[in-house]
Amino acid sequence: MTTILVMTFTGIALIGVLGFVGRRRPAADLSEWAVGGRRFGALSMWFLQAGEVFTTFTFLGMAGLAFSGGVAALYALPYVPIGYMVLFFLAKRLWSLGKERGYLTQGDYLEDRYDSKLLGTVAAVLGVVFVLPYLQLQITGLGLIVQLVTGDSASGTLSMIIGCALVVAFVLWAGLHGVAMTSYFKDIVMLVVLAVLLIAIPAHFSGGVTAMFHRIDALHPEMLTIHAGPSDQVWFTTSMLVSMVGVGLMCLPHAWPAVMSARDPKVLRRNYTWMPLYELCLLMPIIVGFAAVLVLKPGTPANGILLTLSKQVLPTWATGLVVVAAIATAMVPAAGILIGISSLVARNIARVRDERKQFWINHGTVVAACGLSLLLAIYRPDLLANLLLLTYSGTVQLAPAIALGFLARRPVGKVAVLAGLFVGELVVVWLTFWQKGLAGNVNAGLVGLAANIAVLALATAAERLTTRPSAQDTSEPMEVRA
Amino acid sequence: MRPYHLIPAVPALGLVLMPFLPFVNTDGLWFGLPRMLVWGAVWCVMCTPALLLTERLMNREEAEK
Repeated sequence: MTTILVMTFTGIALIGVLGFVGRRRPAADLSEWAVGGRRFGALSMWFLQAGEVFTTFTFLGMAGLAFSGGVAALYALPYVPIGYMVLFFLAKRLWSLGKERGYLTQGDYLEDRYDSKLLGTVAAVLGVVFVLPYLQLQITGLGLIVQLVTGDSASGTLSMIIGCALVVAFVLWAGLHGVAMTSYFKDIVMLVVLAVLLIAIPAHFSGGVTAMFHRIDALHPEMLTIHAGPSDQVWFTTSMLVSMVGVGLMCLPHAWPAVMSARDPKVLRRNYTWMPLYELCLLMPIIVGFAAVLVLKPGTPANGILLTLSKQVLPTWATGLVVVAAIATAMVPAAGILIGISSLVARNIARVRDERKQFWINHGTVVAACGLSLLLAIYRPDLLANLLLLTYSGTVQLAPAIALGFLARRPVGKVAVLAGLFVGELVVVWLTFWQKGLAGNVNAGLVGLAANIAVLALATAAERLTTRPSAQDTSEPMEVRA
Repeated sequence: MRPYHLIPAVPALGLVLMPFLPFVNTDGLWFGLPRMLVWGAVWCVMCTPALLLTERLMNREEAEK
């Protein structure tokens, strides 16, 4: 146990140190800090974008989902490659707009494309509200990992505090450069650990991967199909579609700094071309999750199964390495999310003109957002849990506005976009919290999106009937401050 | 819209249709692995050549212009 604990805190400290090494001197301004001066090459971009995809949910959650739902876990496989194929076509336009008009955030883009500060602020507030629970999830996950392996809740809390302090420190110092540097470490250690687990766990319990699946086919054939129940075809397809739209149209605000940091659009296109192959790594925790079907009792807490099996199979030092990898999948995405949240607050919510003040508001937000998430993770871990349900279905409501914003001539007005967004969010909240069974297994985000688009179309038609055509389109609005 | 825009639609369709194809969404194994897993992995891999081909055609068109 002491060995694991020592490795755990060494791992946390190492990630913190790597984050600091990402930059020699502190960034001079927000653009340098948030998007690395738009100078990132293919390698850095690769790890930054992979960093967003492989989080604690991927590492621990996918194994848990395969354990409880079998192949239903595969809903997470198609949406990133399909989303990236959409982004492959949008990359040049997105990058050019960002470079020309100085975007750092999603709010900057919407504000500029619709010439509406209100839309920029509304999108930023929604982004912060829906992504803050995602930040807390990473911190809670970090504590849970340590607690599961050590069996000591005090160690879990201590790891959350130290982890958060180090993430805040290196994010403030190094910005996106720090996230990129820690991402290298995270992905390498995570892949090594997953490859070891993929071989060791099925071999130990069933004599290998194919032998394991032959036993599952004989004993639990229902785990190999999508069938009636809570994870049926409707759930699978609609969840996949919502996530696909979310990735393909960059609805999560923390995806923006990484894309804006690219040196040129070719770097983005190259990454979007090859990233689907990297997505295959997702199959590794899923296969480990299947191993648990034959070993653990149904009802075992799903999120801990990867660590539980690791402890049973691996020597102590190797389990320590698994814990370090799991911690990295919490700390690195948390750092990326912090950059996304703070730049939204500094650029699109606080709205100060002085660049120096904007920079300090940004840094203050990093401390405040991480501090708040840490306190909630320790004292009220369930408070934001419901909001987490809205992270994808809520942010995806920005999809129509983002998609139409790519067009050179704006076909819809800001009022119509805001009306659609308002109704979409209302429907999602209503279906998530008040009328849970009304949409059946259809993802609430998709229903909200349908309502959003319907209102957007009606409001646009009404606008066109009541407004003279010349007032409709102003093709390229004013430049935002970089 | 150019014809090469449709090339990536092929693997995308393969992935989206995964749970609806009766020979994929069924028990039994391919190569010792769940059929859905093999099908999903194959179409995931196919995304990259589809995008490479699309890029080549896009570049050729740009060069001709």
